[in-house]
Amino acid sequence: MTFQQFAYHNVIRNARVYAAFLLASIFSVLVFFVYSMLMFHPSIEDQFLQNIAFGGMFIAQVILIIFTLFFLFYSMSAFLQARSQEFGVLLNLGMDKRQLNRMIFLETMILGFISITVGIFFGFSFSKFFFMVIREMFLLDSLPLYVSWKPFTLTIFVFLSLFVIISISSSVFIRKKNIIQLLKGFGKQNEEEVYSKGRAILGLFLLLVAYSLVIFSLFQLKVYMSFIIIALAIVGTYLFYTDSVLYLLGIIRKRKNLYWHSFRLIAFAEGSIKIRENARMFFIVTIVSTIAFLSVGVVTSFTSFTAQYREMNPISVFYSSNWDNPFEEEHVMKISQELQMEGLSYELIKFKVKKQTSSNLRDKVNLIKESEVNSLAVALKFPLIDLQEGEAMILPNTQEDFNGIRTEDEQTVLEESSIPIQIKGVYERVIFPSLAIKNRSLIISDEDYELVTEPLYGHGLRESHMTFYAFHVSEWLRTKDVGTNLDRIMTQSMGISTVNPNAFYFANPGLNYSIIRATFSLLLFTGLLVAAVLLLAAGSFVYFKLYTDLERDKKQYDVLRRMGVTDRELVKIVNRQLIPQFFLPWGLAMVHSTFSFMFLQAFWVDLAAVSIAMEMLLVLIAFTIIQVSYFFLIRWRYIAHIQ
Amino acid sequence: MSILKLKEITKVYEGKVAHLAINQLSFEVEKGEFLAVMGPSGSGKTTLLNLISTIDQPTSGDLTINDLNPLQLKSNDLSLFRRRQLGFVFQDFNLLPALTVEENMVLPLTLDDQPVSIMKQKVNKVAEQLGLSSILEKRPFEISGGQAQRTAIGRALIHEPSIILADEPTGNLDSKAAKDVLELLSKVNQKSNTTIIMVTHDPIAASFCDRVLFIKDGEYFNEIYKDDRRQTFFQRILNVLSLLGGNVNDLSTIRLS
Repeated sequence: MTFQQFAYHNVIRNARVYAAFLLASIFSVLVFFVYSMLMFHPSIEDQFLQNIAFGGMFIAQVILIIFTLFFLFYSMSAFLQARSQEFGVLLNLGMDKRQLNRMIFLETMILGFISITVGIFFGFSFSKFFFMVIREMFLLDSLPLYVSWKPFTLTIFVFLSLFVIISISSSVFIRKKNIIQLLKGFGKQNEEEVYSKGRAILGLFLLLVAYSLVIFSLFQLKVYMSFIIIALAIVGTYLFYTDSVLYLLGIIRKRKNLYWHSFRLIAFAEGSIKIRENARMFFIVTIVSTIAFLSVGVVTSFTSFTAQYREMNPISVFYSSNWDNPFEEEHVMKISQELQMEGLSYELIKFKVKKQTSSNLRDKVNLIKESEVNSLAVALKFPLIDLQEGEAMILPNTQEDFNGIRTEDEQTVLEESSIPIQIKGVYERVIFPSLAIKNRSLIISDEDYELVTEPLYGHGLRESHMTFYAFHVSEWLRTKDVGTNLDRIMTQSMGISTVNPNAFYFANPGLNYSIIRATFSLLLFTGLLVAAVLLLAAGSFVYFKLYTDLERDKKQYDVLRRMGVTDRELVKIVNRQLIPQFFLPWGLAMVHSTFSFMFLQAFWVDLAAVSIAMEMLLVLIAFTIIQVSYFFLIRWRYIAHIQ
Repeated sequence: MSILKLKEITKVYEGKVAHLAINQLSFEVEKGEFLAVMGPSGSGKTTLLNLISTIDQPTSGDLTINDLNPLQLKSNDLSLFRRRQLGFVFQDFNLLPALTVEENMVLPLTLDDQPVSIMKQKVNKVAEQLGLSSILEKRPFEISGGQAQRTAIGRALIHEPSIILADEPTGNLDSKAAKDVLELLSKVNQKSNTTIIMVTHDPIAASFCDRVLFIKDGEYFNEIYKDDRRQTFFQRILNVLSLLGGNVNDLSTIRLS
């Protein structure tokens, strides 16, 4: 048996121990590879998409690498720790430390080699599927599979260096110990749980402050607040696991009336040991799960955003033209042509808007013809209106207008043409983009509309007119390539201000929506994949921990069984030990993400009037179900082992 | 009155190679007796102890503890039976590392949901008896082997069981600590009239008992009763052990106190 064979057998014959670890690292390679495939994709020409693809993937990869490095390092040192007795024996038999390091290096590299090969293999197999998902998200025409050396080289290079770094740094851990220490193993459970009361209280305090700031933000939103809250929550979470939990358990353990009670004695004592041993892991799992909950929540809420976005922007392509717009015909022609080129059927409804001064408001109002509104309403399946002569309805400009506008009947006179009208209420939908209309808009009956003949005070007759072109396209999500030039002019000249210096206004909700949607979906998709890797890693760690502690636990349960603990009671004890390990990080992550959602909600309202409470609840429930089934799976294996 | 009766107990381990661990072994233990079971490695001592502990079932034969046949109890009742009737002392102490000395001792009582006031009262009494009062708040890794074994004895005693089963209780202790533990066991045996069954390799440990039962290859070999002087009893034990034959290596190094 050569030295290489020895190392190889060490890995292969311990496959059961390494299984979960390998699974997690293979998955990590897989995801990384798939990201690289997208990053180097040759046929993404769209500049914007390219930026998103490259930037998004790059960030995701960096996060992935950092967490993978952390996970690998943590697992490897735990593996070596668990095998310390074996190393002690080898050193005792005369292996020198250089050989030991070489053995560890070889073993790690074998694991790395397996992970990288299998990961890339599956990564390449899944790329097509991944591209299909991306294509759907960005509504691209095609995103073919390609073969290039770049993604392969990047993945192999990154992970090979990762494994080399790990194998060198983790063997340092063994190098420092002498044989006798190794042979005795690391009696980790024999350490006193140390915690400082100050840090414990600080941890709880920081969490409390972070949560209060979230509540406070609901009333007064400050963007910089989010950074403070995140920082506080992270530090607070860390201290919570290293000190606060132990401190709280310590308080309970001092009260014998509470503590000296059937299974609590064992459960609390064992619980505090497990928490102390795994505090850092719990911390990572909490943060990771919070991010996972959040990203899923945000994207789930996107479905409700779609509906509301549509409600706010019912017209698929909108073009409005002032009297002094020289491009009117040219632009409208262009839009129609582009729609035809995309193979989209559309319906064009033209609104001739007249302007008058309202005696009530002492300001200009836009007058829109009832029949024109109705023809659009038919297309959009909106409620139709029926106005008598002398009646009018307010057309709200934004969603918020519904709250601001009085709904009682109101008398007013269109001063220039001296037409008295009675306002009969508010139309129940928003129709035109709010930026296109600056003043209040009234829908008036066709009869009254014809009577409006006088121009605005101090203006000519032509100047009192505006034209709106509403293109109704039933497949509104596919209009993203229509009017891109006009859209560019709008963004360049307006930026983020609400003042429109042009004589026309153009809005294509399909285009805006596709950008928002693509960005969000990508965020979710990459976030989900990273979260999946991390959750798998955390799961593999719990599995590994249980596996290495199994011998000790078995012995302990044997003692308990001899002392007369029934099988059912044993399950209860196991429950009380496993539940905190599974649900403490998860529970804190739940609380964290609930507050994060609340903060996001406060944020969101400004962005768009979307309520994400329902989606949030669904996400949290889904995660709960996953976590519970995971718990039962592990418990089942664990109990099978100890019995 | 005998508290434990074994009648024609046989235990066969099934497997690829069937192994006869105990072969038609019969003996009785009187209430308040301190019995040592000796025999070479592989003679079936631990199997015997497991059978009496009711965590293993004999292939054939009858076992009666306190006029009860544990073989007829359901597994749940069996656990309750062990919880109330039996106390255990192990070679490697098997204290729960997460618990303090005091908590380790009250463990059997908490499993039985006794009121805290009674637990406190009992643990103080036992701690005083075993000389553990000053280290009650310590954790198992902070105390010596002798203290750990005394804690384990305290745990076995606290619920006042009818039988204490000890598996090599001095196997991991130095001679001084071993002597302390043995004296403690015989004191407990005499004072509270507790029945103790101890499996041991060590002839010195056995010389503290009332009777020594020798088994070899799972069968009854011999038994001897103590006499007035421990020294002569010890010599007689050695004689039987040498008769037991063959493997002198099986006998532990002889320490004379």
